[in-house]
Amino acid sequence: MSLLTVNNLEVRFALRQGDVIALRDINFSLQRGERLGVVGESGAGKSVLGFSIINLISRPGYIAQGEVAFEGRNLATLSAEAMRSVRGNRIAMIFQDPMMTLNPVLSIGEQMTECLLAHRKISKEEARNIALQRLKQVQIPSPEHRLDQYPHELSGGMRQRIVIAIALLLDPDLIIADEPTTALDVTIQAEIMSLMLELCETNNVALMLITHDLGVVSEVTQRTMVMYAGRIVESGPTRKIINHAQHPYTQGLINALPQMTTPGQRLNQIRGSMPSLQDVPSGCAFRPRCDFAMPVCEQQIPDLYQAGDCKVACHLLNKKDKEQQS
Amino acid sequence: MLAFLIKRVFQALIVMFVISIISFSIQDNLGDPLRELVGQSVSEEERQQLRDKMGLNDPFLVQYIRFAGKALQGDLGTSYFFKEPALQVILRKLPATLELVFGATLIIVSLSVPLGVFAAIKPQHIASKIIMGISTVGISVPVFLTAIGLIYLFSIHLGWMPSYGRGETFKITENWDTALLTADGLHHLILPSVALASIMLPLFIRLIRSEMMEVLQSEYVKFAWAKGISPRRVYFLHALKNTMLPVITVGGVQIGTMVAYTILTETVFQWPGMGFLFLEAVNRVDTPLIVAYLIVVGAIFVITNTIVDLIYGMVNPTVKLVGGKS
Amino acid sequence: MNTAVKTQKAPGRLQQFKSSHFWHSFKQDKVAQVSFGVLIIAVVLALLAPLIAPYNPYDLAQIDIMDSEIPPSWESSGDERFWLGTDIQGRDMWSTILYGTRISLTIGVCAVLLQAFLGIVIGLTAGYLGGRIDSFLMRMADIQLSFSTLMVAIIVLAVFQASFGSELYQELAMLMLILVIGIAEWPQYARTIRASVLAEKEKEYVDAARVIGLPTPRIMFRHILPNTLSPILVISTVQIANAIISEASLSFLGLGMPVSQPSLGSLISSGFEVILSGSWWITVIPGVVLIVIVLVMNLLGDWLRDVLNPKLYKG
Repeated sequence: MSLLTVNNLEVRFALRQGDVIALRDINFSLQRGERLGVVGESGAGKSVLGFSIINLISRPGYIAQGEVAFEGRNLATLSAEAMRSVRGNRIAMIFQDPMMTLNPVLSIGEQMTECLLAHRKISKEEARNIALQRLKQVQIPSPEHRLDQYPHELSGGMRQRIVIAIALLLDPDLIIADEPTTALDVTIQAEIMSLMLELCETNNVALMLITHDLGVVSEVTQRTMVMYAGRIVESGPTRKIINHAQHPYTQGLINALPQMTTPGQRLNQIRGSMPSLQDVPSGCAFRPRCDFAMPVCEQQIPDLYQAGDCKVACHLLNKKDKEQQS
Repeated sequence: MLAFLIKRVFQALIVMFVISIISFSIQDNLGDPLRELVGQSVSEEERQQLRDKMGLNDPFLVQYIRFAGKALQGDLGTSYFFKEPALQVILRKLPATLELVFGATLIIVSLSVPLGVFAAIKPQHIASKIIMGISTVGISVPVFLTAIGLIYLFSIHLGWMPSYGRGETFKITENWDTALLTADGLHHLILPSVALASIMLPLFIRLIRSEMMEVLQSEYVKFAWAKGISPRRVYFLHALKNTMLPVITVGGVQIGTMVAYTILTETVFQWPGMGFLFLEAVNRVDTPLIVAYLIVVGAIFVITNTIVDLIYGMVNPTVKLVGGKS
Repeated sequence: MNTAVKTQKAPGRLQQFKSSHFWHSFKQDKVAQVSFGVLIIAVVLALLAPLIAPYNPYDLAQIDIMDSEIPPSWESSGDERFWLGTDIQGRDMWSTILYGTRISLTIGVCAVLLQAFLGIVIGLTAGYLGGRIDSFLMRMADIQLSFSTLMVAIIVLAVFQASFGSELYQELAMLMLILVIGIAEWPQYARTIRASVLAEKEKEYVDAARVIGLPTPRIMFRHILPNTLSPILVISTVQIANAIISEASLSFLGLGMPVSQPSLGSLISSGFEVILSGSWWITVIPGVVLIVIVLVMNLLGDWLRDVLNPKLYKG
């Protein structure tokens, strides 16, 4: 059985002008210990997806339909109290900006032990010991000293290490990391990323890595899911996606990478920008930016077709498929 | 701690210096001490001799130093009306005012936090809308009108409460009596305290609500939810502690306003406190009393602001109370 | 050609306003509409007081002491001539309240204009120049704020009254109130303006203006100030409400407008002396007028803050 199976998930935001659909037709699963990358431009719905798994979408967002099955239980319909025992315990989260994630007025020790005390019947002493052990695991110098410090006394990289230590506190089955290195210095990014990879491997933790950085995804993850305007447009083994992207959007993302451009030439940007959720184009949402748009793209939303190891939502590939079959 | 105290004492000295200059200028320009002493029947020559003898013709600086020297020894002159040392007259009225402020503060602190927090956590709840509606009306009604309304309803119409004065008091020492230890005194204290609290309470409810709502949107509160800790801990530790920082700052600023409102409240309830005495002194041009009031009020400002700073420093770890690098 | 462009522009502005978020939200908000309506009525009545009022409360010839403390006309002992009754001196309450509202609003608006002027100049200077000047001015603002407006006003006015004697003071009361309330509250504006300036300063158009060599005051007033208008609008509404409360409080203490030329506060004060003997209307009616005016301004202020601050809608 998969660790996590998401079926037909649809998330809406209830605005005054009416509901806006932020995520729709989301289907995927994640195995124990597997690392999945979720890629897309900002506004694609990646972060909303991460939060909707632990049922923590901020108002006015809500899960309109679908199922988030975690170890066989549907998290979308779980009671608040039961959901709480999953959060931080079985599924942990790592946020984007470590400067904003830690509470400025509480000590590091307090913020670590409270998580342990909420989920396990242990003494404060024991909780402190576990916290200390985790700080050592994330390679923080003089960990005893850190427990009594406050976030403002630590650097950004150090804080993200602490956030990772908090995520690991209760040996979760799944860690959802939302752009964990975006806010950090480039030199520290690689350090943090390799630390996360190592910890996930040694502890056999599944990782859902939400990022816009295809480079990071290719280094860390086994499978990748590309999102556009609230839908999955392509998913499959990371190596396949990077080397043989089939969806024009994924191709565009890969071509836009600086290493794909000859030095001295302009970057190969995808023209246009992601539509806002209020006015998603009819048919395929990527159509206005797509070089291969056809009449059918305007009328029909493409389904996810199986194409080799991958799944792709594009009329173009479906057409090619049919031509090959006939 | 020591560095903080030294800095604070230094600031306090500057404030007191400014107040003493103002007070002295008032004394220098307001009323003629000679007339109060000797009446109209003395000839101009004798007057000049008396002025010389009293040092009233000395240069400003000499007179100020003499004034400050006396003030430091607690000698702020003799009240023209009471024929007693002005400071003693003021200090005798101090307990009445402090008790009034104490009663009002008790009401404000015990109600503003729960009501403000509730309105922030459940903004759509009908009770929240009622709380906010009443608060908006509350900040629009001047203190003296609330006081008159309370007297009209509870004293004149219903006859439940006394309408003026402090009632029976308990003498602790010759110059210090308290109404907190007698049932009658407490009975008298209720309406004035409610009146004094009436404009501050809605102000703080609104402030706590809006600050709390902002804090609840923050990343660290979201992270706290993601850790699966109890809602009570998220609201009352993570969110409230951060909410209180700006609230404490505003509280410090409002102390001055509170003192001003005691003058209004004491006038309506004929409460025998410092404010009531001050207005009488103004009408009688009793300069030493006016000056003594200013200096005592200035001292209260300095002391309370220091306490507020200390509390702020204890809540906010980024402020270093301990000396050394920061 | 030129005129054609102009005629096209005028309806454009109106159209732009009508389709704006501002107008849209006003159309949907009943509270804002009622508040605005009540405020407009109050302002119009106050402006037209000399035309509407049946009596002139300042004209001693029209006042008969025999008419004093007549209850409103709907009470059994009321008098048809005075529908809201009369005060202790026998003045028609309706006329006196109209004139009183006029005085209260005038003081409120003028004091806030003074505050805004001082605050904008100081705030712009501090925010734009930065450095030592900035920290000095903001330090001043902190100190000024920690001594509350009302406290400063009470002390200053008390001292002036004591040294001028009450007769001269009564003549100068209105000017003194405007000056004291106006000067004491400048930090409110200065801080807000400074914060906006710091935010605006980062933006490119200010750099652009500097690069093309515009003089500093011109950049501040022509380029930065228009972009700080929404916070100014929001605080102004609340500040006028506060100024009116301050004025009423000072007048109630006998440090503001004299009884011969009463504001709403001094009317309430004079009524309070006789409220125990049952003449409630002298206190209650101007009290209600005062509360209603302040309340609608606070409600408008709340509404403006919600509308002009898109931060609240981030969801």
